[in-house]
Amino acid sequence: MPSIVSIIDVVKEYKLGSVVVPALRGVSLEVHQGDFLSIAGPSGSGKTTLLNLIGCVDTATSGTVLVDGNDTRHLSDRKLTNLRLNTLGFIFQSFNLVSVLSVFQNVEFPLLLQRTLTKSERRDRVMSLLDQVGLASHVDHRPNELSGGQRQRVAVARALVTQPKIVLADEPTANLDSVTGNNIIDLMKELNEKNGTTFIFSTHDAKVMSHANAVIRLADGQIVEQLTPANVQLKSVAEVR
Amino acid sequence: MGGHLRVLIRIALRNLFASKLNVIIGGIILTGTLLVVVGGALLDSMDQSMSRSIIGSVAGNIQIYSAKSKDPLALFGQMGSEPDLSPIEDFSKVKTALESIPNVKTVVPMGINGALITSGNTVDVALEKMRDLVRQKQQRAANPELEGRYQSQKEYIRQILRVLQSDLKKRELLVTEKSIDPENVAALQRGSSEAFWDGFDRDPLNSLEFLENKIAPQASDADLVYLRYLGTDLDDFQKSFDRIRIVDGQRVPAGHRGFLFSKYFYENVLKLKAARRLDKIKKTVVDQGKLIATSAVKGGQPSEAEQLLKQNQAQTKEIILQLDKIKTQQAVQRLQRELGSSETDLDALLKRFFGMDDANFKHRYSFFYQQLAPLLELYRIRVGDVLTIKAFTRTGYVQSVNVPIYGTFQFQGMEDAALAGSLNLMDLVSFRDLFGYLSADKIEEVDKLKKLAGAEAIDRSRAEDELFGTARKVVAEATPGLIDEDKEPAGNLRALRREELLRRVYSKDEMDNGVLLNGAVILKDPTKLRQTIKEIESVSQREKLNLKAVSWQTAAGLIGQFVSLAKLALYIAVFIIFIVALVIINNAMMMATLQRVHEIGTMRAIGAQRSFVLGLVLTEIIVLGLVFGGTGAAIGTGIVKWLGRVGIAAPNDWFYFFFSGPRLHPWLTAANLIAAFVIVLLVSAISTLYPAFLATRVAPVRAMQAEE
Repeated sequence: MPSIVSIIDVVKEYKLGSVVVPALRGVSLEVHQGDFLSIAGPSGSGKTTLLNLIGCVDTATSGTVLVDGNDTRHLSDRKLTNLRLNTLGFIFQSFNLVSVLSVFQNVEFPLLLQRTLTKSERRDRVMSLLDQVGLASHVDHRPNELSGGQRQRVAVARALVTQPKIVLADEPTANLDSVTGNNIIDLMKELNEKNGTTFIFSTHDAKVMSHANAVIRLADGQIVEQLTPANVQLKSVAEVR
Repeated sequence: MGGHLRVLIRIALRNLFASKLNVIIGGIILTGTLLVVVGGALLDSMDQSMSRSIIGSVAGNIQIYSAKSKDPLALFGQMGSEPDLSPIEDFSKVKTALESIPNVKTVVPMGINGALITSGNTVDVALEKMRDLVRQKQQRAANPELEGRYQSQKEYIRQILRVLQSDLKKRELLVTEKSIDPENVAALQRGSSEAFWDGFDRDPLNSLEFLENKIAPQASDADLVYLRYLGTDLDDFQKSFDRIRIVDGQRVPAGHRGFLFSKYFYENVLKLKAARRLDKIKKTVVDQGKLIATSAVKGGQPSEAEQLLKQNQAQTKEIILQLDKIKTQQAVQRLQRELGSSETDLDALLKRFFGMDDANFKHRYSFFYQQLAPLLELYRIRVGDVLTIKAFTRTGYVQSVNVPIYGTFQFQGMEDAALAGSLNLMDLVSFRDLFGYLSADKIEEVDKLKKLAGAEAIDRSRAEDELFGTARKVVAEATPGLIDEDKEPAGNLRALRREELLRRVYSKDEMDNGVLLNGAVILKDPTKLRQTIKEIESVSQREKLNLKAVSWQTAAGLIGQFVSLAKLALYIAVFIIFIVALVIINNAMMMATLQRVHEIGTMRAIGAQRSFVLGLVLTEIIVLGLVFGGTGAAIGTGIVKWLGRVGIAAPNDWFYFFFSGPRLHPWLTAANLIAAFVIVLLVSAISTLYPAFLATRVAPVRAMQAEE
């Protein structure tokens, strides 16, 4: 399979006053289309930083990040934004729905930004996704009228509405109970298998990780373990024991 | 773009009441719009009303005057004096030239001047009447009716002397002897003595002269009154200024000399003071519903009404001096009945009568006018009298003119306007006489005198020869000794001439041909004012008329600028309010933006461009501006509509002029609303620029960070 994300020797440093804090220290990674990749590791290991770089919301201090063939370091803000809009989908830890918009409007939002579909096309797209996440009956609800799991399912629908190549999810289950969390992962997995969408998500929940077909483990800004789809299964079985 | 705008508006509308900050911003916008709408409408309405007052009373649309004038024209005076204007020599030429401009309907000749007139004091009036009776008695056969009037008038004068004497006694108690002229005391004593009156019938004219010279000046109720008058072609004036209405008397017939008092001036300057004060109290108490006695409420400060009543109680002399014996008796009887008193002294009765309160004011007010006023001369100058006006001419000598008073007038809607009301109307011929320029009459008179005296114009170079040379024959010889009155052309002839002048009818040509100071140009289409001023200027240049044309507003002087100044003040106030609003809105929007960093970051992460975020913030403030500004404008419209229905009462006579009537009924124009909206939206947009810019700088990575 061709790789859709290539990370080559990436270093990311944050400046906290006069102190330079390294977040990633020379990370290289290939993500293939259709991967269901989990980034694992303790807090502060650089999981979110890595996701931010792939998600084009942040740029590397050095090294190369290629997203769908685009070198993100050489793109303008406008082009990066377009890349996020058309190629990437985001699922956030705290759902990040626009509170004043209804469920339907939240999901429709990226399509409005794209300005490519007609009103009825948008409607069909949004409704079919809401149907898939099981919220077709909640279209007119406001986010604050929904449970945590329902909100995250709206977020999943929003992330997928533009039919992105890659969906990034930062700790998507952290704010959910385990049953709901599992449901969300199952949903993501299902969409991954059905549409071939690449999912990259960070988590430190072992159960969640077990659904992944590839896992990288970070510690202190470096990849300490990289499991291919083949040996993920073995590893997770061992961990469960 | 449609999709974008729709989602922006949707978010903006949803956010409208979601944040307390938005409500604060909305409140400011609402108040600001309300202020601009109501304030603007009030001032615009006032501006229009006042322009109606000024245009409709004296100014017309445009005023013209000589460009050689030292001062600018000021129709309502400048700081109490008249501006120094150069005369326009030939009005008919100006009129013909200007009336050739298509938009000029007519040009009304004008000139404003002022003079001090003495309103005859009571003693003078009584003595004059006495002199008249004496003359009649001397000329006609004995007649019991005339004798009765003669005796009654004599008694009346003695009564005046008694009042003056008791007045003097009171004064002696208050001031040191030195300040009282002993000559006055002696004169009064002589005048009130039995001996004087016993001898009166024997030599009435000399006795009267003594009284006129020695006694009359002691009655200090004669006032010098400053009379402002507008000399104009009265006929033209009444046709062009259709708001004029004759109140008492009649119009001045076309071509006649004549004078019309402004009703306001007549009521407020020439009326008996006691009556004037009562009118004033009536206005505050009955018309405005205020109480006379506010001392208790206001903490000791007597109200204006109370002060006026005190003055009435203190100055009863004005009334007493007017009443002869019979009328005094009548007044005493009526007052006794009214007050249920057995007091016989008129002074004491009047003092009691003027001790009015809220309970009895209305009743006593009508009693005064029904029972006492018929016994009195309510006005010092009456319609039908001939008014003698003495004024300084431009060359500095005193010129005197007699004009019959035909009546009083007022400008409709401005009955109580002090400014318009101070101007009285006079015919153009009399005005020219007073102004000191030679009218056709005068030229004729001078020619006649010259012929009579055999005067001749002599060239200067020949003057010596003419005077002392031998070539000339003697024209007249000086006659030493007594002047033969019968042969003198002055005397009777002058009196006859006066009569003739009063009766003479002047033709339109005579009116038009001559000097004047300024002219009112009435336009067919008043909206083309600026353009017409330009046309007048070019005509003036072409015809070498040397005219200056100004708008009514400029012509009105400071008064004309009043509303502009008030407008300026409002706009400065609005400006300051909006600067403050700008700062507050700016801060509030900054806080609102900071509160929404997470949301904005999310939008950016999902794929919203910076321009979208900018649009988001701006749309929000514009929606906010439209919704709250619209509400403010709607409330403002409601207030203006309501005020338009009930009207705002003019707080005093000055405002009467600005309001062009007793109440201002403001109205709203589209311009007021548009101005309010533009200002509000502009201020909102400007105050949001920086927060909006900050919002576009929110990094998409903020979406990943946990919400605080």
